[in-house]
Amino acid sequence: MPASTGWGRPEDLVENLSSMDTTARLKALRDVKNQIIGNKTKKLSYIKLGAVPRVVEILASDAEIPLLVQSAAAVGSFACGNEAGVKAVLDSGVLPHLLKMLSFGDNKQVVEACARTLKMIFQSSLAPRSEMLVGQRMELLLNLLNSSNENVAEVAAHVLARCCESVEHQQAIVDAGGMQRLVTLLSGTIRRREAALDGLAALVKNNPQLSLQLAAMEQGRPLALIIKFVKDKIPRTRFLACMCLANISRSCPFCYPQEWDIRTSMLAVIVKLLEEPGQVGEESPIVLADIVANNEELQRAAYKFDAIVKLSALLQRESLPTKQLEGILMALAELCSRLEESRRQLLDQDPGKNAQAAIISALSHPSESVRVASCTCIKSLSRSVKNLRTTLSDERLVFPLFKLLDDPSPVVQVAALSAVSNVVLDFTPHKSVFFQCGGVSQLIQLSRSMDPMLRLNAVWALRNLLYLADMAVKEKVISELTVSTLTSLIHDPEEMVQEQALAFVRNLVYGSVDSVQQVFAEESAILIAVERQLCIACRPEVCTQGVYVLSNIAAGNELHKEAVMSFVAPVSQEGRNPSPILRFLQDMSNPQLRVAAVWCVMNLSYPDSPGAVTRVARLRESGIEQQLQKMVDDPCLDVKDRVKTALEQFTGLANV
Amino acid sequence: MPAQALPPPCTFLAVGQAFAGTQNVSSSQTSRKDEAWKVKVQLQGCDIQRGYLCGSMEALNVPAAEIPVVTFWEGEMVDNRNHTFYTGKWDASFLCRRETDVKHWSQFPSFEPLRADVEKDGGRSLDLANYPYFFMRWKEKFFVNVGTDCGLTIAGFYYICFSRNDGSVHGFYYDPNSSPFQKLELKALMAGQSGHCFASYEFA
Repeated sequence: MPASTGWGRPEDLVENLSSMDTTARLKALRDVKNQIIGNKTKKLSYIKLGAVPRVVEILASDAEIPLLVQSAAAVGSFACGNEAGVKAVLDSGVLPHLLKMLSFGDNKQVVEACARTLKMIFQSSLAPRSEMLVGQRMELLLNLLNSSNENVAEVAAHVLARCCESVEHQQAIVDAGGMQRLVTLLSGTIRRREAALDGLAALVKNNPQLSLQLAAMEQGRPLALIIKFVKDKIPRTRFLACMCLANISRSCPFCYPQEWDIRTSMLAVIVKLLEEPGQVGEESPIVLADIVANNEELQRAAYKFDAIVKLSALLQRESLPTKQLEGILMALAELCSRLEESRRQLLDQDPGKNAQAAIISALSHPSESVRVASCTCIKSLSRSVKNLRTTLSDERLVFPLFKLLDDPSPVVQVAALSAVSNVVLDFTPHKSVFFQCGGVSQLIQLSRSMDPMLRLNAVWALRNLLYLADMAVKEKVISELTVSTLTSLIHDPEEMVQEQALAFVRNLVYGSVDSVQQVFAEESAILIAVERQLCIACRPEVCTQGVYVLSNIAAGNELHKEAVMSFVAPVSQEGRNPSPILRFLQDMSNPQLRVAAVWCVMNLSYPDSPGAVTRVARLRESGIEQQLQKMVDDPCLDVKDRVKTALEQFTGLANV
Repeated sequence: MPAQALPPPCTFLAVGQAFAGTQNVSSSQTSRKDEAWKVKVQLQGCDIQRGYLCGSMEALNVPAAEIPVVTFWEGEMVDNRNHTFYTGKWDASFLCRRETDVKHWSQFPSFEPLRADVEKDGGRSLDLANYPYFFMRWKEKFFVNVGTDCGLTIAGFYYICFSRNDGSVHGFYYDPNSSPFQKLELKALMAGQSGHCFASYEFA
């Protein structure tokens, strides 16, 4: 045993934690604490030896200050950055003792040690949130906000903030008077107000009602104070004020006057904070993402503030903290979601600087949220034909992205699917790279998922994959997907899935006669499914895709035209029935649907085909010409022009 | 820019639509048949909200090239909202003087009713949303399948007049270093055997 350390055998140390001799207990406690600080292996081995309950026992039953301070600190060390440690300290029932010490402890050292430990525990997702927000515990926490010790007040606000996991949690805190108490803290010392901003930001996050409540509180006085803090001289105060206001704006836009101007001024502040060291710099990107979310003008303003250049430089730094990496990717995703100039700026960089490589490598990051963020970023960047034709048509991107379709987390799978939907639009007809990596089979698997989001996004990707695809691609996809899966997708319970499935069929039958022929496989099952869906669907977007399927089929050969005719101008034993597509021609809510229906009629009455005269006669009997005549002054110019041509075709063929 | 109404959509301008015809290499006034080559254009992106289009252009029987030359182009729609009749960009300042713009637009008969207004104030107050023609500029950005030594240049750009009624395209290529008023004439292609087909994609 090396004498120099002065430490006994671990087993003896643990034994000594329960020694009757106070000095021995204190020495053992110090030794254990010193050994485990920053040493994960030691932590785990002491947890195994059962040290934690003994340490907690000291906190629970001893009265001597040094013992209490050391035991609280040791608990904190066990819990710090180590989920197994957090679990061990929670299992040993430390929480009530910590809270008791915080409330009734009269020694500053003890109280502060307990506060630090509580904060450590609540940095973990294992910390019990709901349990903190009931009865006495909630009251105790709220009382701690008023503690004369600002460390304690800060920890109380921190714990409250970490407890805001759901709307119910937020509401429980507000109902117990938490918002009011936090607002009072805003006027306190720097640390108190920062704690208050942190807590308030968590209270209003994704909560429109509480956002509105905070904005309207006391004639807007607290809000005005928060707005003032955006320009504070302390970076962390500026950051927290921005975060709080960004959360309000995101959950309840325009809920106070001048919100727009405030958001713009926050933007300038937060872009500067991106380069701050420490927590402020780490968390600023996600706040930036919140500020510009769904707002093109603010995204443009951020571009002018050089946000893309700064974020891109940060992205290429070595070993970024996970939270910062996620935030940077989400901010870039928002900034590039609509503006082509932002996308170009991120992708067109000097050689040596390569944001794209950093985004791609984030696809394989161990953190789920980073993987989601990098997929979202690629989705934004790929909303551009030009990027898809140049920088993004790259195997280095396609392979790792498609790998994520197999991710264990459905959230990652959905995010990956959205990016894949865009990336498969590589505008080459053969799309070979997607088959090479097995991605197409994976998409087909996901289109059969029970999860509607996965199904929707998978069908969407397949629809885009078939856009202007060559015959070989279409055949491969349909043979693997199968006719029966496709017909169930056309009749999917989700309307959005129906729409994508019909758009898929539309692309399938686009072009050559061979393409059209595919809907006649297995006794025309696909065509029958499309027609049935057209008879029952209400959503114009669903109907529009379905009508384009018919229209594309009607552009094929005589047999194809006849197949569509039997739906469009049905013959029954009583004679002619009104055409089902009259309903679409008459739909004044949606010009796209009307124009699709007119195209279908035009293809059926296309003059240079042998059966055109007969078909026109049948269409006329089904009331279609009469309907077209009512549409010659259609408010939509496109419909009006097409109707004119269609009627010319009718007249031309009548005179044959 | 004044808040003009956006032009309503036109199915001939839908993504995936293709157009085929010819480009005359020598000036339109003196065109001879052997100096024309076949051109095929495919629309790949169209965002009327932003007045943006893009696509590919394929020159089929270019004497100087062994294979068809494909370029990628981006277009601006003159909508008095995102873009006006005045080009004001692409290359050196002398290139895009307003007189050059008016001179080229004036080659299109359908521009005649608008000409006086455009000469007066750029035509900014004209209601183009309901005009039967779209005016556009198409600018080739890069060669897709060949190097820049393929014998063709993409230094200039096209002034385009697009008919809403039948999807026919008339254009004039403008590049001060090439022969003036090279004429582009395209007709909408039907993708089907006997009728118009429409493919579609949507960005996620």
